[in-house]
Amino acid sequence: MLELLVILIPLCPLLACLAITVLGPSLKENSHWLTVLGNAGAFTCALVALIGVATNGFPEGSQTIPLYQWMSIPGSSNTMALDITIALHIDSMSAIMLTMLTFVATLVAIYASSYMHGDPGYARFFACVSLFTFSMIMLVLSANFLQLFMFWEAVGLCSYLLIGFWYEKPSASAAGMKAFLVNRVGDFGFAIGIFLLWRTFGSVDYVDTIFNPAALASVAAKYPGLLETICLCLFTGAIGKSAQFPLHVWLPDAMEGPTPVSALIHAATMVTAGVYMVARCTNLYMLAPHAQLVVSIIGGLTALIAALIGLTQTDLKRVLAYSTVSQLGYMFLGLGTGTFLGIGGAMFHLVTHAFFKALLFLGAGSVMHAMGGVIDMRQFGGLRKLMPKTYATFLVGSLALAGLFPLSGFWSKDTILASVRMAAHPEAHKADAHPATTDGHDAHGKPAESGHGAADHGKAGHGDAHAAVASVDRTKVKLFGIAATTWYEILFWAGSFTAFLTAFYTFRAVFMTFHGEERIPEEAGHHAHESPSAMTTPLIILALGAAFLGLALGHMSAIFNGTGFFDGFLSKTIPGTAGHHDADWFVIGLSTVAAIAGIGLAWMMYAERSGVPAAIAQAVPPLYRLSLNKFYFDELYYIFLVVPVVCLAQLSRFIDWIGVDGLVGFISRIPGAIAKLARPIQNGLVQFYALSMMLATAMLLWALLVRPGL
Amino acid sequence: MTSEPFILQAMVILPLLGAVGVVAASQMGVGLKFIRQLVLMNVLITFVLSLGLVTGYDPTKVNSSGQFELYQFKSEIMWLGSPSNDVDPSAPKIVGPDIRISLGVDGISLWLIALTALLMIPAVLVSWEAIQERAAIYYALMLVLESGMIGVFASLDIILFYIFFEFTLIPLFFMIGLWGGYDRRWAARKFFIFTLAGSLLTFLGLIFIVLSHSWMLEAMTGRSAPLVFSIPHLIEHFPRLLAEPQNAAYWANVSPWIFAALFAGFAIKVPLFPFHTWLPLAHVEAPTAGSVLLAGVLLKIGSYGFLRFALSMVPGACWWALDFVAILCVIGIIYGALLALAQDDIKKLVAYSSVSHMGFCMLGLFAFNNIGITGGMLTMINHGLSTGALFALVGMLYERYHTREIDAFGGLATRFPMFAFCFIVVSFSSIGLPGLNGFTGEVTALLGMFKTRPVYGILSLSGIIFGAWYMLQLVRNTMYGRVKEPLTEGHGHPATAAHAATHTAPDASHGHAAHSDGHGSDGHGHGHAAPVFATHHTDLNFRELAALAPLLVLIVWIGVAPQYFISKMEPSIAQVVKGLEAARPANK
Repeated sequence: MLELLVILIPLCPLLACLAITVLGPSLKENSHWLTVLGNAGAFTCALVALIGVATNGFPEGSQTIPLYQWMSIPGSSNTMALDITIALHIDSMSAIMLTMLTFVATLVAIYASSYMHGDPGYARFFACVSLFTFSMIMLVLSANFLQLFMFWEAVGLCSYLLIGFWYEKPSASAAGMKAFLVNRVGDFGFAIGIFLLWRTFGSVDYVDTIFNPAALASVAAKYPGLLETICLCLFTGAIGKSAQFPLHVWLPDAMEGPTPVSALIHAATMVTAGVYMVARCTNLYMLAPHAQLVVSIIGGLTALIAALIGLTQTDLKRVLAYSTVSQLGYMFLGLGTGTFLGIGGAMFHLVTHAFFKALLFLGAGSVMHAMGGVIDMRQFGGLRKLMPKTYATFLVGSLALAGLFPLSGFWSKDTILASVRMAAHPEAHKADAHPATTDGHDAHGKPAESGHGAADHGKAGHGDAHAAVASVDRTKVKLFGIAATTWYEILFWAGSFTAFLTAFYTFRAVFMTFHGEERIPEEAGHHAHESPSAMTTPLIILALGAAFLGLALGHMSAIFNGTGFFDGFLSKTIPGTAGHHDADWFVIGLSTVAAIAGIGLAWMMYAERSGVPAAIAQAVPPLYRLSLNKFYFDELYYIFLVVPVVCLAQLSRFIDWIGVDGLVGFISRIPGAIAKLARPIQNGLVQFYALSMMLATAMLLWALLVRPGL
Repeated sequence: MTSEPFILQAMVILPLLGAVGVVAASQMGVGLKFIRQLVLMNVLITFVLSLGLVTGYDPTKVNSSGQFELYQFKSEIMWLGSPSNDVDPSAPKIVGPDIRISLGVDGISLWLIALTALLMIPAVLVSWEAIQERAAIYYALMLVLESGMIGVFASLDIILFYIFFEFTLIPLFFMIGLWGGYDRRWAARKFFIFTLAGSLLTFLGLIFIVLSHSWMLEAMTGRSAPLVFSIPHLIEHFPRLLAEPQNAAYWANVSPWIFAALFAGFAIKVPLFPFHTWLPLAHVEAPTAGSVLLAGVLLKIGSYGFLRFALSMVPGACWWALDFVAILCVIGIIYGALLALAQDDIKKLVAYSSVSHMGFCMLGLFAFNNIGITGGMLTMINHGLSTGALFALVGMLYERYHTREIDAFGGLATRFPMFAFCFIVVSFSSIGLPGLNGFTGEVTALLGMFKTRPVYGILSLSGIIFGAWYMLQLVRNTMYGRVKEPLTEGHGHPATAAHAATHTAPDASHGHAAHSDGHGSDGHGHGHAAPVFATHHTDLNFRELAALAPLLVLIVWIGVAPQYFISKMEPSIAQVVKGLEAARPANK
């Protein structure tokens, strides 16, 4: 029964997509009903599946439901077979993702029904959204890496189609193409990772690879570098999909798409696929400490860079886009710590972020809707009275993003920072036998390194993995000659600083948009008004989630002395996350101070439209310009990647014309040239022919008669 | 339907009869309308027969001795010489050749025959309006070509294979030379000489295989041996002959030369870098149907030749040549993609993309394992479908505007939504998007090569980035943006007229693009009258949709569930791999 429900989750949006494709021309502005119904149906099933997992409705805690055999090629004596079955794997991690995904998708579809009203591509829009929902569900439910890759690309296609939704606009079609190509670069590495995995384990099924700790451990023992390489290759895919440095350049441009798409695909769901994949491969990454360190460094670096760029952007949607890049960086920062606190925190941040970032984007869309399509923050202001519902919900979202207690962002972000700090001071968290007292904060609990964490959780298989995990000594890991602990220490402070920046740029946007004098651009005309209820209702629901999700499911429910619901639930997939963690008051204090300082600074600079920002910009022009121009990444890529390839292409064209074809032409002239040598003989002079005949006959006679033995 | 040999015979003969019928009908003064219907009927019947072939082929069929019966629908007639099995050991020691007209299919040729029969449908439908002059001859040539192509794949005798192999050249030569574009004569000549030059060497190689078989048999048995031309017989018996150390030593010396001779013809056909330069010219100048069949089927004769002769009969030499061929493939994949990126003619772009795709195909075949060869086979089918569809689509565009200049077009998605939909689906199939056929073949081919030689796998994987680049750039430039179309009604200079068209782009698109986020509610898209375009061309009509529909169905089918196709070809591929494994040198 439950299996059937799981199959229904992807089936609902798929049917909706097919129905809209077929009936679209006649449905027109009613198309959204199918998408809403399909997403709501998927959400209902996902919720039941979630409850099923929580109440141990699946016998093993997880289940793989095979659908059909996609490809089966038998091997021979020397070669391996290839057997790919399209299957759905449901466990607590995928159930969490699905519930979040379908919930947000349903709200976005309702919102879009009003937002997209009157667009000539109405049916096309909802067909694409349904196709996306289907693909994303299948990505989450994948049971093998090839299927994961297939839907990984499929969501990329939907993203491409929706970014370029208004394809008549050159910037939109360019942004769509850029997104697809940049992702392809990441997928290049991802595919190599999958190939390597297949070559190493002889299978791409999760069951034989990441869910098989014994096999992982034996490979790790035999070829320690191999797993690191695989992890790095897979992470390349995540860098592309989740817009991490240095492949983050596509996401801000993706804002060319309709705003509901930005909320659903480019904030809440698709871009988190990379985080999900790395979390999914926890068993693998746990055996690759160097790769984990790289994950953390890339994440931390991205978080910082994106936040710095976000400081000066004037396009509201782009501020939010850079903030998404930055928050995704946080997630990777947590994933790379190699602690279960960090992994659980990253997954939790993924969920809370989906709520508050979707909320912020939809809020921005609501502003845009009222402002006649204008999204430049310099052109409007003081909208809080005009759009009270949008303002209130946007404020909740911003507070959550800034990470203020007790909103959801606080719980998840602080968990990540705490985990980084834990990784920086492993000795302080060693084992229960050595309670940490050295640096004053008494977080001990059962972190991963202790090796005890796994003993009392889950299945034996997972226990084995953790035994292997325990054998990796992270304190000896070095990268570029710097010890891992030092790296994590740096990353902790970078992350904390980013928290300050986040609060600042978020509230800069809030103050610029909603505070100060009321200003409305010309484009808005007399249309400036609060958005209809089809748009504000999703905002309110998301705001409730953004506000209370952390409190309800919080990671650090440890404050109230216990494991949070979320961790307990996630521990069905990653047992280590259920370890008891005491609150890290240092981190809580630091990040709260950072958030309040950021908000306060933004208030001082932007609430009253003072001249301070301009003065700062003039004081440090190079830094200001660096941030405003997004660190010149686009320009660099254009000069060092696009231009060389285009030149190379033209060069190839020239070579093909002159070199290859020329050579062929040359060869084809050889017979003609030989013929030319013989041509003078055919001169048409009878005397010459007679002479030649005479001479030849004489030679023949001579040869036959005089020198018969020749 | 059971394994009735008549199906296969009919598939070879029916198009020939059709050709004769068409010519006769036109001589009797029957109009073009009737001739087209006759041709279409003929092609459809052949296609239905091919469905019988596909459904009737049973990959699990075993013969009396418990072996897989790989070749089915078999039939043969003695043609030249005396049958070898009639040779009495005590008979005089003069044994003639054993050449038969022998037809049959295995899991490899099955799909290529089906592909040929399928692609004939769009080939006829795209010629429907485009070919008006001397149409009867054109259609007759096309049917003759079909017969030749099916014959190539269905032949189980080397001589018969070679006859059909060369036979395909002639009709296409005339199709390009008579109904082609501006530079058609040069293109036809270049195409003909290129392929002929290579195939003569190939013939030498094939004959040498037959001779060597005979010589080695004589050396083993001490008796005069017949010249056997039967392909299955040769494939089956070579390993037995090579068990003799003396024969093995001889074969080790000779087979690289044979491989080189086979390579000459087949590499040109595929085409592998650097033998590809005839291809873009022939494609650009050929009429649409010619391009569809050239890319869809004729290139596959090259890769089929590699699979059937090189890999199956001289496997040892294939191992020897592995790195050489793989490097050519990798160069072809990347170089072809770069060339495609630099083109300004849509048809040329597609032609160069063929070089890239066929590189993946050959890379799969030269992985020498089940996975790779399956991938190579799938890529052959997929390339036939998607490139065939692309050429058909380009032809439809050309029929409307008489130009293929990329810069002359823009915003076709607004102009012809149905056309754009088909074009984008096929483009993504070519890019290798999962869920469509291109991915299935390429990922399998690459997995196979990744097992044999990871470095080539990784290098050629970078082709997927460039592949997406040129294809998406094409889609963006022609399908997206504002409507821009060449005005060629009665004008000779499409390029100059193209700019005028931009001014008449519809209001709707202007109003639309002006909004930075164009959110819906504020009125655009409402109340506009039907947009006025610069030309009166219409979106795809029923005939054109019917031409594309079967291709699109298969593009999705092979992408979503390729197992049906794989299961039929697997035993035949396993046999090839068995031979390759046996011949694997110790150091490779």
